[in-house]
Amino acid sequence: MSDPAWHYRGTCHRFGDDVEHDAQMISFDFVIRRVMDPEVLIPHLFETTRPDFHRRARPGDLVIAGRNFGKGKAHIQAYVAMKAMGLALACESMPYNTYRALIGLGFTFMTGCTGIAALVEDGDEVEIDFRTGAFTNHTSGVSRSFRPLPERALEIIRQGGTQGVLRAWWAARQAAATGPA
Amino acid sequence: MGMTAVEKALARASGAQQVQPWDVVYPEPALVFVHDGHVEGARRELDALGIDCITRPERVVFATDHEVVYLSPRAAARGSAIRRTARDWNVGHFYDAGRGGHGHLFPMEAGLVTPGMFVFASDMHCSNFGAIGAVPVRAGPEVVSVLAMGTLWTTVPPSVKVVLSGRLQPGVSCRDVGFRMTQALLQSAPTIDIDYRYLELAGDALDALDLHERIALCNTPTEAGVAGVFVPPSARVLDWCRQRARQPFEPVSSDPDATYEATFTFDLSGLGPQVALPGSPANAADLAQVAGTPVQHAYLGSCGSGMYEDFAIAARLLRGRRIAAGTRLFVVPGTVECAQRMAEAGLTEVFMDAGAVVLPAGCGPCAGGNMGLMDSGEASISTAATNHAGRMGPKDSKCYLGSPATVAASAIAGRITDPREFLEAIR
Repeated sequence: MSDPAWHYRGTCHRFGDDVEHDAQMISFDFVIRRVMDPEVLIPHLFETTRPDFHRRARPGDLVIAGRNFGKGKAHIQAYVAMKAMGLALACESMPYNTYRALIGLGFTFMTGCTGIAALVEDGDEVEIDFRTGAFTNHTSGVSRSFRPLPERALEIIRQGGTQGVLRAWWAARQAAATGPA
Repeated sequence: MGMTAVEKALARASGAQQVQPWDVVYPEPALVFVHDGHVEGARRELDALGIDCITRPERVVFATDHEVVYLSPRAAARGSAIRRTARDWNVGHFYDAGRGGHGHLFPMEAGLVTPGMFVFASDMHCSNFGAIGAVPVRAGPEVVSVLAMGTLWTTVPPSVKVVLSGRLQPGVSCRDVGFRMTQALLQSAPTIDIDYRYLELAGDALDALDLHERIALCNTPTEAGVAGVFVPPSARVLDWCRQRARQPFEPVSSDPDATYEATFTFDLSGLGPQVALPGSPANAADLAQVAGTPVQHAYLGSCGSGMYEDFAIAARLLRGRRIAAGTRLFVVPGTVECAQRMAEAGLTEVFMDAGAVVLPAGCGPCAGGNMGLMDSGEASISTAATNHAGRMGPKDSKCYLGSPATVAASAIAGRITDPREFLEAIR
């Protein structure tokens, strides 16, 4: 049985190579103003490249992209919106700082999925188990197995990213300090 | 199996016998650097989680370098907040405004950071510490986790060997090399990928390079996304560090059978003066391409060119000369020690006689919007670390980067100028 927290099945939103966070995913203005409220960010996600994206995307949908997704500075506003919308991501590659930022945010994703962008069309029905790396395109009938994120990264995401890890660590420390002798 | 120097430092800090590229480890840093712009945010984040103390505060360094002179009420309030936090958290090494100077430079001079040491820092230009053979890793905003828990998950970066050969021509410096080498590395993609790779410098050219030149070589690749630059320390660099070290240290070096993801060679001897065109420090171009471009703004300093020797080169050109009318030159010593040496050696006088504005030690105009700004439509030539649009003023002001000699020559002429025109002065 697959773990429901890691298991996504929905419509594929396909993107190509070199999608830059600033401007292409969301306006840089939100970055400068340090806006982190997903309700504010969601209507603007992909608004210049995919108008109405926020109306068409449903929880469980998958963003599938080519190489160098999230290039440029590792800003996170677009991923904050994607996470709040219940989306997950699989791509062929991304800069390391983007990779770190996504794990730190507690966002469900997979990278290093060589060739994945060629396996999908926009609108296909796709399924990914992010724990095992199993990928299926139900529209075309193609299946593949990709390498999931390292176990330690999955654990950080499961705890809710950097904030979740810190919260859990502090709670455990407090409990140890006040617990029975 | 052999390990690279970086892998050895990470293994040692993580209590592991062996690590390999892409392993995830939890290293304990010897020091944790938090720069002035990041203290308030870190405090706010930990306060929100109810975390009221930090792990191993004696290893934490607060550096005041981005905003040394408070130019707004907000900046003055931030200074107070930093001081309060340093006290509340019992921070072991608090360098307030006017103390230390640039946090990517003074820790080496002060003997805080030593060869072989693994450190975390909030700012990516901690990569400078690679110049003495230390192994710094940028924690970015996750420095909050390091402060709280004393460690942070860290991916062991693969190493790429960069072999430097040949000797620099007169009038050409390691900043010129940095611009061109970084561009060449980026152009080698996808054969060579430098994203989160640790560059390890090697080759015949290395031994002759002084510390300020090694620092210059660490600077520009950092802007292109490397995890760091490791420069195996020469006997001279190790001596310099020993004289300053507060504690004994153990350098790291790569095993002969260490594995590198790629090897890249770069010949220094064929290189002329370079300019990084506005937009990225890796936009290297032969200076001749833009020679004659008028500059209203010039600036010497930053983490890439903030050592005494960098200013000595510029002063040799400026001695007895005046900066062009219509051009203003800001001189920002990297560290307080550097500023003192400049004063003692008469360099400060040379700069002031030439008509330059000497600012306090720190980042200077490179910090982005803090001081020494340009007006709309103006152009600058500087030794800053970066030159993205809007870095030192409005978006339509232009930031060219060059070596200290190029900046000095250009300030004298009021236009971008090949320093070899003053060759006899810089030999």
